[in-house]
Amino acid sequence: MSKTILAVDDSGSLRQMVAFSLKAAGYDVVQAVDGQDGLNKAKEKTVDLVLTDQNMPIMDGLTLIKNLRELGSYSKVPILMLTTESSDEMKAKGKAAGANGWLVKPFDPKRLIEVVQKVIGQ
Amino acid sequence: MGMKTLPITELRSLLSAVSDNGKQHLIEVEADLMQTTFLLSEAIEKLGASFMAIHQAVSEQQAELDILMKHHEFPAEETEKLTAYKQNIGAEVNAAVTGLQFQDLTSQLIARTIKRVNGLKDLLETLAAHGDEIEPEHEHDEIARFLAAMNHSLNARSDALTGGLRRSVDQQDMGSGDIELF
Repeated sequence: MSKTILAVDDSGSLRQMVAFSLKAAGYDVVQAVDGQDGLNKAKEKTVDLVLTDQNMPIMDGLTLIKNLRELGSYSKVPILMLTTESSDEMKAKGKAAGANGWLVKPFDPKRLIEVVQKVIGQ
Repeated sequence: MGMKTLPITELRSLLSAVSDNGKQHLIEVEADLMQTTFLLSEAIEKLGASFMAIHQAVSEQQAELDILMKHHEFPAEETEKLTAYKQNIGAEVNAAVTGLQFQDLTSQLIARTIKRVNGLKDLLETLAAHGDEIEPEHEHDEIARFLAAMNHSLNARSDALTGGLRRSVDQQDMGSGDIELF
């Protein structure tokens, strides 16, 4: 059975590229348009990995991560940030919130798949 | 010796003109940025759709080639060429996916610029509002205080504007970004 990844980003084109890359590697992808949508979808079905942007309306990535970590079902699920942010300060905030990794946009599909496979396997 | 009167009326007119002219230009800047955002959004939608369609067609073609190669004997040279084409296509698809993320980055930069433009319009509004408070009959010291207060207000608003416009896109090119696992 395929593993499922929740991709959270307010950019439709970015979500399209993420979904294209992950599906090509055999993963199922659930898309969310902002942090609140991501939290709602995460609660509907526990996924194997969350890939989230930081700067989004309604609920940003760091807040989403904190909310997910408070859910028992998501205490151990890997969460990766995929964002334009690259400062050490933001990375530290991400780590403190509960993120397991930080990917700076734009992403290379091959490298994205390598990281995802390293984190959750095929 | 008579005291020269301060050109208060002219000062008020100047502040008002700077505010009005500046705001007009900023309104045009904002309109151009909104149009740019819209066109970029349309462009990425079309590019994305075309990319997916081309990829689908190439994938189906490759699948047919794989079947042919499985069931027929091809000269080694031709087999090597087809394998190389396949690898090339894979590499170019990766490059295209990386490049197609341009709209995400540029739209964030444009959104930040629009926020700054709106902030500047507010600053110019403040300039004109303070100017309206200065009256011709005010004494020199009173006017100096008004101008100092105006300066202080503008500085405060400018600082607030800067504080609310944190730079989130530092990328100077479309090369893929760093990855770090904690």
